[in-house]
Amino acid sequence: MQTSTAAFPKKFDLLTPIISNEQVAQDHYLLRCACPEIARGALPGQFIHVLISQAGVLQAASLLLRRPFTIFTVEGEQISMLYQIIGEGTEVLSHLKPGDPLRVLGPLGNTFHIPLDLHPAIIVGGGAGIASLMLLAIALRKSGVRTLGLVASMNRARLLSVAELKRIGVEMHIATDDGSVGHHGFVTEILTQILEQPHAHELSQPMIYACGPDGMLRAVTKIAQDYRIPTQLAMENRMGCAMGVCLGCVCKVRMPDGGFEYQRVCTEGPVFNAAEIVW
Amino acid sequence: MNSNPTSLEVHVAGIRMKNPVMTASGTFGYGSEYADFIDLNQLGAIVVKGITSVPWSGNPMPRITETPPGMLNAIGLQNVGVDGFIEKKLPYLRNFDVPVIVNICGERLEEYLEVTEKLDAADGVAAIELNISCPNLHCGGMSFGVDPELTYELVNSVREKTALPLLVKLSPNVTDITVIARAAEAAGTDGLSVINTLLGMAIDIKTRRPMLANITGGLSGPAIKPVALRLVWQVYNAVNIPIIGMGGIMTGDDAIAFFIAGASAVAVGTANFVNPRAPLDVIDGVHTYLKQYKLDSIKELVGSLQT
Ligand SMILES: Cc1cc2nc3c(=O)[nH]c(=O)nc-3n(C[C@H](O)[C@H](O)[C@H](O)COP(=O)(O)OP(=O)(O)OC[C@H]3O[C@@H](n4cnc5c(N)ncnc54)[C@H](O)[C@@H]3O)c2cc1C
Ligand SMILES: Cc1cc2nc3c(=O)[nH]c(=O)nc-3n(C[C@H](O)[C@H](O)[C@H](O)COP(=O)(O)O)c2cc1C
Repeated sequence: MQTSTAAFPKKFDLLTPIISNEQVAQDHYLLRCACPEIARGALPGQFIHVLISQAGVLQAASLLLRRPFTIFTVEGEQISMLYQIIGEGTEVLSHLKPGDPLRVLGPLGNTFHIPLDLHPAIIVGGGAGIASLMLLAIALRKSGVRTLGLVASMNRARLLSVAELKRIGVEMHIATDDGSVGHHGFVTEILTQILEQPHAHELSQPMIYACGPDGMLRAVTKIAQDYRIPTQLAMENRMGCAMGVCLGCVCKVRMPDGGFEYQRVCTEGPVFNAAEIVW
Repeated sequence: MNSNPTSLEVHVAGIRMKNPVMTASGTFGYGSEYADFIDLNQLGAIVVKGITSVPWSGNPMPRITETPPGMLNAIGLQNVGVDGFIEKKLPYLRNFDVPVIVNICGERLEEYLEVTEKLDAADGVAAIELNISCPNLHCGGMSFGVDPELTYELVNSVREKTALPLLVKLSPNVTDITVIARAAEAAGTDGLSVINTLLGMAIDIKTRRPMLANITGGLSGPAIKPVALRLVWQVYNAVNIPIIGMGGIMTGDDAIAFFIAGASAVAVGTANFVNPRAPLDVIDGVHTYLKQYKLDSIKELVGSLQT
């Protein structure tokens, strides 16, 4: 995606002990580690590439490739990541204990574009997708931008980050698949409701920021098009090197000339203009 | 240089290198991507991503998947094309004192020749590596590399177009690799790169769909090292030109095994995705081994397999 010409921070590969790795919801964990060099430069939406092995050593294991996770929060020299157990890698990760070494490469990727006169920001997170929007929400609230937070979850037990977002002043709306909390149904239904409200014309310079399952991102993109609201998506494709060389994590991006190009989620992304993504 | 007892310098296929460790094509981009981690001057050589006569957009996604311990890829040679490479990528590489080896591919003979002519005229290309073994193209690519006559014709034609050192990258997906290796040698190549990826596939059993949009892909990483070693050893016994060995090299010790099997230099591929300093760690490991076994040069190891 088109980003400012400002250079992205230098990348580091750090071997660092885990400070904490705790379950925060069903199937979801929050891991913290000290990465001063990464913490210093990290921008909202940027991610780390984590080597998951018993001892954090660089050698052949059945988990060969690293796994990418968005930088969830930055506190002083510490960074955190919020992750969902999906397969072998995240399962092994969830068993690591404080003190276990972790190899962390980052910060990687581009960042969200925040226009000057933004009002309001609407962030839409599906499942662990909210993890990619937390640093953004913090940055938005710091600069006093009115922020609506729409989060989707399977159920109450898997709900993430609602209290934290509320605390920083994000206006929260919740949708669950089973209705155990909030709206019973899709988060995109809440989005439509908000955009249909009589006061919707007060949304003078809105922007939608979304991260989550492909189905949700497509639905958000469609609504955004219908209501003509610029939208940025944080993409989470299967990734190899995260350095821009293997060309494994690409997504299909529409070009001004009507053609398309495969662009790297790790380098041109992970943040893309929704209107440019060809699904 | 021989006065230094632990010099790693080698001269392979007409390419002079500070050490015998290069990066494998398609796993190190065009060099600049690793600038935060690697001083390119420390590498033996850089082999860049496969280049074609015009830019290629590549295959649909998903393009990669992990398989223990390795990965399958079907990138489909997405690349900037030879003109884009010479204009936008080569100038950066000219800032370094490191041989740049350009991996090239095509669907037809004429495309290989066109790319060769342009690279031959460009400033800063140390050698050409002919990829006749890409498993992810439906025509061209591997179809040259599985047929000794087509291999001969292609290598011979390219040979006539350039005096640059020429490497031919062989496919493991053949019944007898030595037949192709000899054809390439007879056609005048200076060296052989052994091996490219092994054709494989992976299936998502929940959906019964292939893990890759291309269905099949090329297997790389530690999983293929035993196969790669065997093929290097077979080729070493069949030809009289040097071999660049690759396939699953993660450490210096892995590289040493390739030298013993018959490689004169090695390339580090998938390891770059795991460890951004992988080639430097391999160089260090090779150095340590030479010191430990009191060897003056890599040459003493090449093809030293005791049987
Ligand atoms: C830039 C980026 C940021 C990310 N940030 C977060 C985050 O903050 N929190 C979080 O929980 N997850 C995040 N992800 C997704 C996370 O990387 C994957 O869930 C993780 O790699 C799965 O690893 P695994 O070994 O557990 O599963 P695997 O065993 O590798 O895979 C299990 C199944 O999930 C599929 N899969 C693997 N990787 C992905 C992926 N990236 N997206 C979709 N499906 C996948 C596989 O194809 C397979 O079918 C992010 C991904 C990217 C690219
Ligand atoms: C993602 C990826 C892309 C590759 N692209 C090329 C290429 O463009 N040209 C080529 O000759 N080989 C290519 N290869 C093959 C590697 O150069 C190497 O021969 C192979 O991966 C075996 O080495 P490894 O196990 O160390 O990776 C590619 C491999 C990977 C994993």
